[in-house]
Amino acid sequence: MIVSYLKYIAIVILLVAIQKTLIWLIALSNYNISPDLVILMVIYVGIARGHIEGLVIGFVSGLMIDVLSGSFLGLSALCYTITGFIAGYFCVKEREDSYKKYFLVGIVFLCALIANTIYFLIFYQGSPITVQNIFLIYILSTTTYTTLVGSLFILFIKDNKRTAYIG
Amino acid sequence: MKTIGLLILRIKEYLILTLFVVISLVLIFNNDNTQIRFLRAFAIGFVGTLQSGVSAVPNVFELQNENKYLREKNIELANEVAALKEAKLENIRLSKLLSLKDKNVLGVISAKIVNKSLVQTRNTITINAGENDSIKINMPVVTDDGLVGKIVGVSKNYSIAQILYNKDLRISAKVQRSRVDGIFTYDGVGSLILTNVPKAADVNPGDLIITSDYSNLFPAGIPLGTVIETGNLDNLFKKITVKPAVNFSILEEVFVVKNLPSREKYELEKIFMNK
Repeated sequence: MIVSYLKYIAIVILLVAIQKTLIWLIALSNYNISPDLVILMVIYVGIARGHIEGLVIGFVSGLMIDVLSGSFLGLSALCYTITGFIAGYFCVKEREDSYKKYFLVGIVFLCALIANTIYFLIFYQGSPITVQNIFLIYILSTTTYTTLVGSLFILFIKDNKRTAYIG
Repeated sequence: MKTIGLLILRIKEYLILTLFVVISLVLIFNNDNTQIRFLRAFAIGFVGTLQSGVSAVPNVFELQNENKYLREKNIELANEVAALKEAKLENIRLSKLLSLKDKNVLGVISAKIVNKSLVQTRNTITINAGENDSIKINMPVVTDDGLVGKIVGVSKNYSIAQILYNKDLRISAKVQRSRVDGIFTYDGVGSLILTNVPKAADVNPGDLIITSDYSNLFPAGIPLGTVIETGNLDNLFKKITVKPAVNFSILEEVFVVKNLPSREKYELEKIFMNK
């Protein structure tokens, strides 16, 4: 169990590094909208392993993002923790049959939407941007972009024993 | 114990979620930036709304304690109010007496009544000033309302004064409005009366009775009382009932006026009467 946690954390460290260094290459320039690779990992852990693993990985990865961003300690940790927990509701371990791929895309969209809503609504508190604009410019666009990137991963998931449930 | 363990196992996901959310919130609220100030304001408002809702539900034990405390406080405050009222009344009385002292050119000695009788035919008061305070027999005793009586006995530190309700005290008086003269005295059965007033004299209820210039003991013009009833005593004289200017039942402080009878006038009148 600890090994699997360490494995997930190693992947998260790698994704965080990419998120902080290379993601600007695919960011939408106007509002610096970029996909959230780390949240995709958290959702994946939640779906594959359940609530507790989703929670732990969510919290740890969120904390890493917060520490590295240096602006708002605790905010990403909160969002990713909640996301990991929600993703745990769709855990494949409890299911007899597998999810269809488009359903997985829906789960990613839902989880990313919740995480981004919490994050951006708190992050832009006290700024002159209206809630409407926060939703359209940041929440919806980031969620959509993240879901698109997540869909690419879902498309390439192999139908082996583990991923059969997911795919 | 086993049941509790099972329950914890069943809800462990929620417990971990709560733990992480709390840690995240603590971290968030330890930041000090604009967003957090807004969030804190919102959180305080939200908690305040919840608290005001909860406070509407009465706590019986708290109410009992509060009730007990308020009753004790009420008694304490009632005592304080009574003491303040007493002090206020004393202040008013003393202020009036001080103004009288300032007005009186003859000079006065202030004194407190330490004993008084009001139900006998020869009523007196005892005051806490005597020879050591320069008080002498026959000095008038007054208040700001009017005449009280005269000193009839003096010791080192105390004096006794006859008051208006004393059969032995007879005062030369007059009606202020019509200047009708008379003798002001106590009838011994509860009323102050003005006697020796001719039947045809102009005296009406409400007229003020004052000390006369003819008095050898009292300065002229000190109020004695107000006429409350006039009637006929016999074919020659009126019977006039007077309400005293001084309320003897609540009297507590007095002034003794440093006014002594004129010895020369007294001697002259005595010689003339003896001839």
